[in-house]
Amino acid sequence: MLKYVCKRILAAILTLLVLVTIVFFLVRLMPGDPFTSAKLTKEVAANMNKYYGFDKPLIQQYFTYMGNLLHGNFGFSMKYTNRTVNTIIGETFPFSADLGIRALVLAISMGIVLGLIAARNRGNKIDFFCVIIAIIGTSIPDFIMGALLQYFFGIKWGLFPVAKYQGLEYTVLPALALATYTLTSVSRIMRSSTLEVTSQDYIKTARSKGLSEGRIAIKHQIRNAIMPVMTVLGPTVASVLTGTFVIESIFVIPGMGKYYVESVTNNDYSMVLGMTVFYGIFLVTCNLIVDILYGIADPRVRIGKK
Amino acid sequence: MAELNKEKFVIRGKNYVTMESISRPSLSFWQDAWRRLRKNRTAFIGLCIIVLYVLLAIFAPMLSKYDFHSMSTEWKHALPSTEHWLGCDASGRDQWVRIWMGARVSLSIGLFSAFINMCVGAVIGGLCGYYGGKLDMIVMRIVDILYGIPSLIITILVMMVLGKGVIPLVVALCIVGWIGTCRFVRGEVYRLKEQDFVMAAKVLGVPDFKIIIRHIIPNILGMMVTNLCMAIPGAIFQEAFLSYIGLGIAPPNCSWGILAKEGIKYLRIYPHEIVIPAFFICTTMLALNLLGDGLRDAVDPKLRGTK
Amino acid sequence: MKKRLLAAVLAGTMVIGMVTGCSTPGSKDSEESSEKVFRYSSTTEPTTLDSSKCNSIPDNEIQHAITESLVRNTGGDVQPGLAENWEISPDGLTYTFHLRDGIKWSDGEPITANDFVYSWQRLLDPETASVYAFIGEHIKNGALVETGELPKEELGVSAPDDQTFVVELENPTAYFLSMIGAQAQFAPLRQDIVEKYGAEFAADAEKNVYSGPYVLTDSSNRTYIFEPNENYWNRDAIKLDRVELSTVENTDTALSMYEDGDLDYVEIPSAYVSQYEGQDQTFMNGNVDYLYINCAADYVSNQNFRLALNYGINRNDYMKLAVDDVYVPYASLVFSGLKTPNATYGEDYDVSVYPLDGDMDKAKEYLNKAMEEMGIASPSDITIEFTTTDAEANKVIAEVVQDQWTKNLGINVEIRQVTYSEIYGNVYPEGDFQVGYAGWGADYDDAYSYLEIWKSDNTMYKLNYKNDEFDSLLVASKTETDEQARMDMLNKAEMILLEEGAFVPLQTRSVHYLLNDKVKDLTFFHCSINRDWVYADIETE
Repeated sequence: MLKYVCKRILAAILTLLVLVTIVFFLVRLMPGDPFTSAKLTKEVAANMNKYYGFDKPLIQQYFTYMGNLLHGNFGFSMKYTNRTVNTIIGETFPFSADLGIRALVLAISMGIVLGLIAARNRGNKIDFFCVIIAIIGTSIPDFIMGALLQYFFGIKWGLFPVAKYQGLEYTVLPALALATYTLTSVSRIMRSSTLEVTSQDYIKTARSKGLSEGRIAIKHQIRNAIMPVMTVLGPTVASVLTGTFVIESIFVIPGMGKYYVESVTNNDYSMVLGMTVFYGIFLVTCNLIVDILYGIADPRVRIGKK
Repeated sequence: MAELNKEKFVIRGKNYVTMESISRPSLSFWQDAWRRLRKNRTAFIGLCIIVLYVLLAIFAPMLSKYDFHSMSTEWKHALPSTEHWLGCDASGRDQWVRIWMGARVSLSIGLFSAFINMCVGAVIGGLCGYYGGKLDMIVMRIVDILYGIPSLIITILVMMVLGKGVIPLVVALCIVGWIGTCRFVRGEVYRLKEQDFVMAAKVLGVPDFKIIIRHIIPNILGMMVTNLCMAIPGAIFQEAFLSYIGLGIAPPNCSWGILAKEGIKYLRIYPHEIVIPAFFICTTMLALNLLGDGLRDAVDPKLRGTK
Repeated sequence: MKKRLLAAVLAGTMVIGMVTGCSTPGSKDSEESSEKVFRYSSTTEPTTLDSSKCNSIPDNEIQHAITESLVRNTGGDVQPGLAENWEISPDGLTYTFHLRDGIKWSDGEPITANDFVYSWQRLLDPETASVYAFIGEHIKNGALVETGELPKEELGVSAPDDQTFVVELENPTAYFLSMIGAQAQFAPLRQDIVEKYGAEFAADAEKNVYSGPYVLTDSSNRTYIFEPNENYWNRDAIKLDRVELSTVENTDTALSMYEDGDLDYVEIPSAYVSQYEGQDQTFMNGNVDYLYINCAADYVSNQNFRLALNYGINRNDYMKLAVDDVYVPYASLVFSGLKTPNATYGEDYDVSVYPLDGDMDKAKEYLNKAMEEMGIASPSDITIEFTTTDAEANKVIAEVVQDQWTKNLGINVEIRQVTYSEIYGNVYPEGDFQVGYAGWGADYDDAYSYLEIWKSDNTMYKLNYKNDEFDSLLVASKTETDEQARMDMLNKAEMILLEEGAFVPLQTRSVHYLLNDKVKDLTFFHCSINRDWVYADIETE
């Protein structure tokens, strides 16, 4: 196990290096440069290029960047001048992570419960009801969901504050809006996998041994049915925790999501790379955890086995 | 008490013809699946809605007297009426036609990209999961890398090369999209390959290829169908998000995502402009999910012949 | 069954408990007091707090409160700032400013003329790499210092003593005072502070000292808190106790926040302007939107064709269809509210060439002439490519113009959407377009700012427009010292553009906003700064 984890961590570092390299060159392929604006004169552009070292050969810029990166230095943002990418991530990540954790806890727990209920009542009204809830969750894009929640709960009925992120009651609507999609996908997959598991022999065995339905659900069904859910969750966790553009902008949450999108459309090279590395670290960690959990949840899967 | 003797019995002999005949018609896997799907009322309704929408998307714009891009100051924000069945948008364009023009774009993006993603993802994920080891390690690292590249960069670059439109969007969505299915299928295969029936097949010397086709795929098909039904709305929303930040399809074409986005701006004063596209998106998703559940049940080998 | 439902409900409540049970980062206790607090929002996050590097209106608005220049421009009205008085040489080329006595930075250090010399040199120093360095080209040797051909010490600024600051200009610039009173790049800077923080100077509120009426006390979480600067020379004129500026990108959210009482000022999203008729107020932000024409591209190189495009748009209909009728349809280039010696540009000059309703007969006439000249039989053989950025609002604008030209002229129009970086990085500088949508807001209160784009030596926009009379009028206007005569020249230049159909004007922007009744003395300006709350006050019962 330890050997496997070490191997994976090494692989993760390699993955990140390749990722940074690819993204480093990909962003340079995009049209325009970080300073493009309606009022940028050629003279100023030349000064800007020199200031950020773009007048040097690309390969040299790459090694300079990698050198800084190894010291944990993401460099200065090119759009938000005078501010380092490290500062921006440091300031915004706590908000995104806080919101993300709330949304995830909500989505995963409710999703599993809903999926389980739906599966155990397959084909009857309760199942159908769960399907309808799931449909509402998936079929409304987040920008509509956010706007509707805000308008009805915030303005019309005045139950929650409309925006900003300054306390408990402020977190409810954005967490709900962010959770819906994940919640639904978890519940749908959970329903499917529970059905899969229900017809397995060990469930029949358990039942014939006279175990109570509750025990069967907890001891045998959930434990086995949860595996496919975990696979889906790896990347979802990473992306939810690192912020979502739409929800954050609707609810005025000073999180990372905005920069993740904006840095690309602004060609803010150092910001794109910083965000990529940060997200990449999250991603490989989440996936590693999922793979390890796989082994714990299902004793038959011995990870790292040839 | 009547006496039993030999004369009372007649030897009728064995009729091999009737013995071999099966009273009910034999069904292949897919025939059985179709039979079960048809019997499932909700799933069948779902199928009908999808077919209806596809037909409307193809024919409704041709049959209407309006086109999807002509504007008129007179009909700005018109409510649904006999003249304009679903009303008009902020620029006085007929919503009925725009909904079905949008359906063409959204449904084709959703169906194509989800389908391509599923096929590619299933093959690669299946191979990784089944063979594991080095192949798995390498492919999974590639997956991590692809996941890590901001998808916006990929979309912008694809659009720079291919221009704007449905095909570039599908390409952009597929470059990254397959990895979700891939990870998922891989996980499932990992789990299944350790199960007894696969073991049995292996011991009996069934070749790997056949094991995958005959034993593993039917077992994950249900989950894949569920996944597919989730992926279609996923792709439709991805398109909606891209048009939210201005990277969708080229104007004046529209999609459901664009219609919803234009409609949400007027939520407070002209709610019909958001309700109508949202209704079509929701019913499509409902239909897909009902159909998906039905299909899932229909292709589940463990439920074969039940009910 | 019941049991299971119960379990689900219990699980649900547990989750909600967990979700709401932990504290959030940045939580704040809301304080209710009799403080005069003004809260407003901006849709774009300021990009920098370094005055030399300011490059947008939101950047400038912040600096306008935390820095004080030699003069202060409040809504176009120029009053002495840190300079008590000044002399202008008869040729209009040399300005001598005399600073006030006892003026201090927020940390108590005295403000001297050297702080201005340092700041103005820093603006043009190539090593600073300020996006807005070009605005310093008005100063003598500015352009040469900017390109590094002269050392920054050669810039035409000097400080004979601590209280005297002398500026030499390239040309007599009538709008010079108005410009330095509104553009943040001309604010003083403290050399020791800038050097202390280096590249991270002004990265946040703590890394700077302030010369203006307010100090920035917090700049975290995209929210900016301003409090009065006790060392400000005119402290008594400042009425507000605190100003909170939050970045709210989503305009619907901002409106909701206003209605919920979280903001005192909000700009109404165009979709909802009609709903607030009677309650809203407007100001003009000086932005004029139009279509650039590449005069070397197919079809549009023909002047008659360009005129057909101009007459073939009904700008009143366009306004209703594209922007919910909230802007003002416009058929010329220079913003009508600009200052002229005695009035405004719009009052002085009549620039109506194209009727706002369009003129379809004339359009057809010009189109037929153009087709004859180009040897084209039918308008449907003509296809125009309309380039625009991918911003949401621009999409509808492109669709409406497309619809109008298709209907009114019978030509085909294709829309090409590119990213913002692409349009300003490649499309316009390289002239890779036929017709392209864009807008312009002036950096200073003068018509020249709008017109210079069409000068044939402009390198930022490759419009391939060349008219010798237009060029010479612009050149002559630079040295003309009689204000009215200079304006006449610029007006003549604008008329040339209109008569030759060098571009297609569409609209000028009026901003509809809601303002809390208690807020008084908020001023607006059509360049550099839109909303100026420095002297604002809040009524208390």
